[in-house]
Amino acid sequence: MQRSSAFPHGQELTPLSRREFLWRSGGGLGGIALASMLAEEGVLGAATSTSVLHHPPKARRVVQLFMAGAASHIDLFDYKPALVKHHGEPADFGEHVEAFQDGLGPWLRPVWEFQPYGQSGKMLSEVVAPLGDVVDELAFVHNMVGKTGVHSQATLLQATGFNRPGFPSMGSWISYGLGSMNDDLPAFVVLPDHRGLASNGTKNWDSAFLPSQHQGTVIYPGRENAIADLFPDEHGDYITNASSAATVPLLNRLNRHHAEQRSGDGRLEARIRSYELAARMQLAAPEALGFADEPEHVLRLYGLDNIPASYPEEINAREESVYFSTKCLVARRLLERGVRFVQIWSGNDNGFPRRNWDSHEDVQRDHGPLAEGMARGCAALIRDLQQRGLLDDTIVLWTTEFGRMPSSQGGKGRDHNPYVFTNWLCGGGIKGGISYGPSDEWGYKPLDRDRPTQVYDIHATILHQLGIDHERLTFRNNGIDRRLTDVHGHVIHELIS
Amino acid sequence: MFARLLSAVVLATVTAIAAHASAAEVNASDADTVEVDFATRVAPILRRKCLSCHNDDTHEGGLTLQSVAAVRDGGDSGEVVVAGQPNASYLVDLITPVDGEAEMPQGGKPLPDDEQAILRQWIASGAQWPADYVVDPETWWSLRPLERPSMPKLSGERAAWCRTPIDRFIAARHEQLGLQPAAEADRRTLIRRLSFDLTGLPPTPAEIDAFLADTSPGAYERLVDRLLDSPRYGERWARHWLDVVHYGETHGYDKDKPRPNAWPYRDYVIRAFNEDKPYAQFIEEQVAGDVLHAGSVDGIEALGFIAAGPWHFIGHAEVPESKIDGKVARHLDRDDMVRTTMLTFVSLTVGCAQCHDHKFDPITQREYYGLQSVFAALDRADREYYADPALTQKHDALWAQRRTLEVERDALAATITEQGGEALADVRERLAAAEKSSERPTQYGYHSAIESDDASEDADGVKWVQVDLGGDVPIQQIELIACDDDFNNIGPGFGFPVRYKVELADDADFGEGVRCVADRTVDDVENPGTAPQSIALGSQTAHYVRVTATKLAPRQNDFIFALAELKVLDDSGENVALGKAVTARDSIESGERWGRENLVDGLYPNAAADPEAIAALEAERDATLQREVDAAVVARQQDVAAHLAEVTAEIDALPPAQRVFAGTVHYGSGAFRGTGPDGGRPRPVFVLARGDVTKPGGEATPGALACIAGLEASFVDTVAEPEGQRRARLAKWLASPDNPLTWRSIVNRVWQYHFGRGIVATPEDFGHMGELPTHPELLDWLAVEFRDGGGSLKQLHRLIVTSAVYRQSSRLNDCPQCNAAPDADAASKVDPRDVDVDNRFLWRANRRQLEAEALRDAILSVSGRLDLEMGGPSFQDFVVERPEHSPHYEYRLHDPEDPHCHRRSIYRFIVRSQTQPFMTALDCADPSIMVSRRNQTITPLQALTMLNNKLALVMARHFAERIAQTSDDVDAQITDAYQIALGRSPNNDELESLREYAAVYGMANVCRVIMNLNEFAFVD
Repeated sequence: MQRSSAFPHGQELTPLSRREFLWRSGGGLGGIALASMLAEEGVLGAATSTSVLHHPPKARRVVQLFMAGAASHIDLFDYKPALVKHHGEPADFGEHVEAFQDGLGPWLRPVWEFQPYGQSGKMLSEVVAPLGDVVDELAFVHNMVGKTGVHSQATLLQATGFNRPGFPSMGSWISYGLGSMNDDLPAFVVLPDHRGLASNGTKNWDSAFLPSQHQGTVIYPGRENAIADLFPDEHGDYITNASSAATVPLLNRLNRHHAEQRSGDGRLEARIRSYELAARMQLAAPEALGFADEPEHVLRLYGLDNIPASYPEEINAREESVYFSTKCLVARRLLERGVRFVQIWSGNDNGFPRRNWDSHEDVQRDHGPLAEGMARGCAALIRDLQQRGLLDDTIVLWTTEFGRMPSSQGGKGRDHNPYVFTNWLCGGGIKGGISYGPSDEWGYKPLDRDRPTQVYDIHATILHQLGIDHERLTFRNNGIDRRLTDVHGHVIHELIS
Repeated sequence: MFARLLSAVVLATVTAIAAHASAAEVNASDADTVEVDFATRVAPILRRKCLSCHNDDTHEGGLTLQSVAAVRDGGDSGEVVVAGQPNASYLVDLITPVDGEAEMPQGGKPLPDDEQAILRQWIASGAQWPADYVVDPETWWSLRPLERPSMPKLSGERAAWCRTPIDRFIAARHEQLGLQPAAEADRRTLIRRLSFDLTGLPPTPAEIDAFLADTSPGAYERLVDRLLDSPRYGERWARHWLDVVHYGETHGYDKDKPRPNAWPYRDYVIRAFNEDKPYAQFIEEQVAGDVLHAGSVDGIEALGFIAAGPWHFIGHAEVPESKIDGKVARHLDRDDMVRTTMLTFVSLTVGCAQCHDHKFDPITQREYYGLQSVFAALDRADREYYADPALTQKHDALWAQRRTLEVERDALAATITEQGGEALADVRERLAAAEKSSERPTQYGYHSAIESDDASEDADGVKWVQVDLGGDVPIQQIELIACDDDFNNIGPGFGFPVRYKVELADDADFGEGVRCVADRTVDDVENPGTAPQSIALGSQTAHYVRVTATKLAPRQNDFIFALAELKVLDDSGENVALGKAVTARDSIESGERWGRENLVDGLYPNAAADPEAIAALEAERDATLQREVDAAVVARQQDVAAHLAEVTAEIDALPPAQRVFAGTVHYGSGAFRGTGPDGGRPRPVFVLARGDVTKPGGEATPGALACIAGLEASFVDTVAEPEGQRRARLAKWLASPDNPLTWRSIVNRVWQYHFGRGIVATPEDFGHMGELPTHPELLDWLAVEFRDGGGSLKQLHRLIVTSAVYRQSSRLNDCPQCNAAPDADAASKVDPRDVDVDNRFLWRANRRQLEAEALRDAILSVSGRLDLEMGGPSFQDFVVERPEHSPHYEYRLHDPEDPHCHRRSIYRFIVRSQTQPFMTALDCADPSIMVSRRNQTITPLQALTMLNNKLALVMARHFAERIAQTSDDVDAQITDAYQIALGRSPNNDELESLREYAAVYGMANVCRVIMNLNEFAFVD
C-alpha cells in the first residue's frame, strides 16, 4: 500500500481522471511529472519516485543560503593582496567600467584581515572566521558572473534562472521534479529575513507556472503564526480544539456522500484527503519548529544558548547571529524530517537603516554584523549536518545577487559588481577544500573572461547531484518547454568528488 | 492541398535539374510517373523539412527550394544538386549525418534514413522536377484563411439531440467515435452552473425557485439573458481577461511601488464586457485607442492594456537608457508589450523570436523587433484625461503648445547666449552671484539628527529647538523660515516639519505655564518653501520660544527637522532673537552650513539682498543684450515668454484631471526621460544578436507578421508619421476580419471558460508547439459566426450556453453508455472512458472547481456581506508598512471585518511581489505571468486556508448570523444555509449530522463546515 503524503508529488487519482488532473494542473504533455505519475500507475514499470531520476543521485536535499543586497566577495572569501598593496590609489580597471551608481573611487582594500584556514589553507576574512572550521568541506566558485547590476533582476536570476518575473524558483523545480520525501511537511520551505522580503518578494520562491504545491512555504520561526493559516485565525473565536477535532471527520463524511454520487472524479477524493493531510501537518509542523528537544551542546554550537533578552538598536553581531542561526537550526530539523529544499534569506529589502548586504555607504558597518552572524550559523549547520551523516546527501549553496566593486564608493562603501562574485557549495558529493574559477587580481572580473561560471552551471550541477539532467526537467508554458537553466548550463565536473 | 497540387501539374513537360543548367526535356509518358514520384515523395520532404528556411521569402543561405529554377541557381555556396550524381551534390552532404548529427535541417534531428534515401535516389535518377511545379510551404492550420464550414450531416437520432449548430459539430464527432451524449442536467444544476459561469456568483434561493417554477417555453433562454444583462457578468468575464493580460497594481521587481491609477483600465474592461463592445473595437482601443477612437474616454483608459504587466521601476527611474542595465530594462519593457499583445489577441508566442527566428512557427527575429518598434515610443506612466473629451482635447492641445514653446524658448536662449558672447556671460555671472548670496547663504540653519521614521506615531520621537531671549520680552510676531538645500533635489522647504507647534514659556524646560501660539499638529501642513511663516501674537511676553516638530520632514529614505531662521519680533518690529542662545533636543553641527547658532544668525534664503546692486547689474545686462544681440531675437524671446506664461496659466486653470496608468509617450527628466522631450519619436530598435542589448544589428522597421496571407505586414510607411500610427496599423492588423488567428483565438478562449478546456487546449499557443483543435470545423464556424455577427461576445455566450452539449449532466450516472444494460447492443456498450478518457469530445459536462475569485465571492455572498459597489479604486486587504522605500504589503495585519474589503474580488488591489496568500493558495492567476489557463490544484495548504483564514472565519460567523435572522429553529437554519450555499435542501443524513454538531459547537462552526464542503467548491 502506498503511503499518503501531505505534499504529494501528484495527487493519487483514479486512472480516469489522473491524466485530466495533470492536464488541468498545466502539465500538458511535458515533463518529468507525467513520467512520475505514469510510473505510479505502473505504466512505466517501476513504481517508486526514483523512477523520475535520470541517473543515480548523490544528493537528496538542498539548502540555499541567499544574501540579499549583494554580499562582497572581496571582503569575505576572495582574497586580493593587490588591493591591500594599492589601497587608496586611483582605481584603474584598464577599460571603461559602467558602475551602477558612482562607485569608481580609489581601490579599497578588504575591510578585514585574511588568514589561511584548514588543510586547504584557504584564505578567509576574519569576519567569517567561524567558517574556517569547516572550510575543507567547501568548494568556492570565484568566477560567477551575472547579467545585470540591478537587484531585482539579479535576485531573480540567481533564484529562478531568469532575470524577469514569472519563472519557478530552483526549489520549486526540485519539488516538481523529485516530489516530497515526507508525509506531513512541504517539500520546499522558505525562511525569509524577518525584517522584510528581498527584491521581488515572494516571486523568489514562486512556483510560477508549475502547480502551486511546488511554491515555497514560508515559515517565520518564533512568530506567533509561524506558518500562515496553519491554525484558525484569532477572529474565529468560536472555534475550539474540540470543534476543530470534530470538523474534519464530519466534513469527510459529508464529502464522501457527495463524492459517491459523482463517481469517476478523483479530485473529490483528493480534496477529502487534503483535509486529512492538513490535520497531520498541524501536528508535525510545530514539533519541527521547536527546539525544546535540542541538547545544550547543539544550541551552543549554533550560539543559541544564553540568548540575550534584548539587543541594542544599532545592528550588532550577536543579534544577527541569533536570527541567522535560528533559521539554520530550523533548516536542519526540517531536512531531517524529509523537507527537500530549504531556502534561508539574510537581508531585507535594501531599505534603511541597512539590514541587508547592499553596502554602498559602509561595508564594515553592515557587512560586519551580518557576516559574523551568517558565518556562525552556516558553520554550525554544516558541522551539525555532518555529525548526523546528513551532509553526505545534502547540498549547501551560499549565494547572493552579485559582488561588490574593488573600488570604493564614498570612501567606505562599495558599488555593485555584476561582473564577478563568489558562490560556495558543500555536501551532497561536492568536492571540499577547493577554489574553482579564480577572479582577476582585483576581484573585478573572472581571470579567464571567456570561461566564467554562470548561475545555470551552478543549477545544472546541483540538479546533476540530485540525479536530474537539467536539460530534461522541463515544463511547457506559453508554447515553450521551460527549464531551470533556460537554454544554458553545464555541469561543473571539477566541483564533484 | 495535395489534390490541388496534383491537378495543377497535369503537364506535358518535366524538367530535370541539369548538371550544367540545361534543362533536359523528357517525354510526356515518362513524365507522369516522375511527376507523381516528385509530388508524393520528394516535395513533401522539402515542404516539411526545408522550406521553413529555404523559401522564396526568407531564402536562408541564399537558397530556395520552391522551384526548379531556384534550385538550379543554388545558394551562396553554389550548386546544391548535381543531377545524376548524389555524391557530388552538396544537398546530400548537408543531410547526411556524421556521428548522428547532420548540418541540415539546422538545429533539428537528421532526416530519417528513408527520407535521405528518397532524396539520394531522386538525384541519382536525374533529379526530375515537373516544370512549373512550385512547392508551396505548408500553411499551419491556424494561419489558414477562415471559411465557414458546411454543417455536418447527421442521422435522425443525433440530429434530434441538437439544439444549436454547435451541437451538430459535436454530434458528428460523437458519431465518428461511437459516443453517446449524457442526459441534460436538471434545472437546479443548470442555474448553478450558468450563474457561476456567467456572473461568478451562486444563484440565490429566490432565483432558483423562480427558475424551477417557470415552466413556460424559453425559461432557460430568459435566464441566460437575465444573467448576461447583469453587471455581474462584466465583473466575472473581465477577470478572465485580466488573467491573460497579467494586470497588476504594483510594478513588481525591486521596491514594488503601487500603481494608484491602474484601476481605470480594469473598469474599462468590465464596462466593455457589460456593454458588449464589438470585439474589433475592443482590440483597437487597447492597442491604439488614442488614435483610432480619439476623443473617447474608452480610447484612453483602454491603453492600460499596454502597461498592465510588470515594469522595472529601478531600471527606468534610476538607470538611464545610456547604460547597459537601462537598455536591458527598456528591452524587457517592450518585450512584455509585444508578447502580451500577440499572445492575448492572436495566441502566438512571438517572444521565442527575440534571440533567433522562431524555431517552430513562421516568425522571424526581424519581425519580432519590428513589433518592438511599434511600441518603441512608449513607456508606462500615468496619462491624464477628462470625462469630457473636449476637455481632454484642450488639455492635450495646451500641453502640446507649452512643449513647443519650451523648445523655442530654449533655442532662443541658446542663440542669445551665443550672440551675447563673453560680455553677456560676464554680466550674467556677476548678477547670478549677487542674487545667489541673497537667495541662499552658506549658513543654512539648524538641522536635527536623522531618524528612520517621521515620529508621527511616536511622541518620543518629536524634535524641538528653542531660543533663549535672555529675559522676558514682549513679542508681537514670530516668523519661521525654512531651509533650502539641494540634497535629494528637495530644495526650498528642506526639513520643514510636516506638523509642528510653536510655544512660549518662562522656563527653559517648558515645564509649566506653556503657551501654545501655533498648533499645526493635527493635519499635515503644506511645505511653504522658503516663504516666511508668520505667527501674530498680539503682544505676549515670554523668556523662551520653542518650535516642536511632531511629524518630521521626509528625505529620500529618512526623516529630519531643519529650520533656517527663527525671528522673534518685538513691538517695534526688531528681531530680538538675533544672536541669542539656541538649544535643541539634538542637532547636527557640521561645518559652516549646519549648526544651532545658524537659527538666529539673520541669514536665510531669500533674505532681502542688496536691491540696488542687483538693479544696477540688471541694467548692465539689458544694455549688453541691446548691444550684442539681434533685437528681433530678444523681442521674440519676450513674446515666447509671455505666451508661455499664458499657456501655463491656462493649464493651471484646468480642473484636476483623471489619470490612468497606461502605455504612453512619457515626458520625464533625468534617468526616466521617456521620448516626450524628443517629440515622442520612437526610439530606434535594433535586431539584437541573441537578444543581447550590447550586440545591436540592423535597425528594425515597424511591422507585424508576414505569415498572415493578405494582410500587409510592413508598416514602414508609418516611420515618418506620429508614433501612434504604428500602433494604429498593428491594431488594424490584429482586428482585421482577414486575420484568422484573432477570431479563432477569442472564440476558443470563450469556449474554454465555459467548458474548462478549449477546442484548442492551448489557448495561448496556436503555433506548432500548441495543441491541435479537437473540433477544427466547429472552431472555424464559431469564429466566422462571431466575426460576421459583429463580434458580440454576449451573442457568442448565448450560442454556447443554449447548446445541448453545454446543458449535459456531468455525472457518469447520466451517461447512457456508462450505465448500459448487460443485454444492450454493441454501440451502447462502448465505454466513453475507454474512447475518450479526458472528455475532450464532450460526451458529458466537466465538473468545475471554482476559481479563487469565485470561491471568495461565494463566501462573501452567502454570508450576506458581499458589497456590490462597482468600479473605482481597488480595496486593499493589507496594511502598508515602510512605504517610503520598498512598501511591505502586510496581509496578516489587515482586519477582515473591514467592510471595504467585502467587495467582489475583481476589485482587489493586486500586488505583484507579495501575492495575497488566500488567493494564491487557491491558484489565483499570478500577475507576473500571462495566464490563459489557470493551474487547478488540490493541496493541504488550500484545506488549511479554507479552514483557518481570517476572512473565511469571520464570514462563517456572519453566515450564521444571517440564517439566525429568519428562524430560531436549528433545522430551519441548517436548511436555510444549504439553500443559500448549495442551492438545495439537506437530506436527512446531512441534517442529522449537522444538527448534532450544531448542538455542541454552534451554528458558526456549522457554517464553517458548509463553506469547506466539496459541493461548495465544485460546480456540477
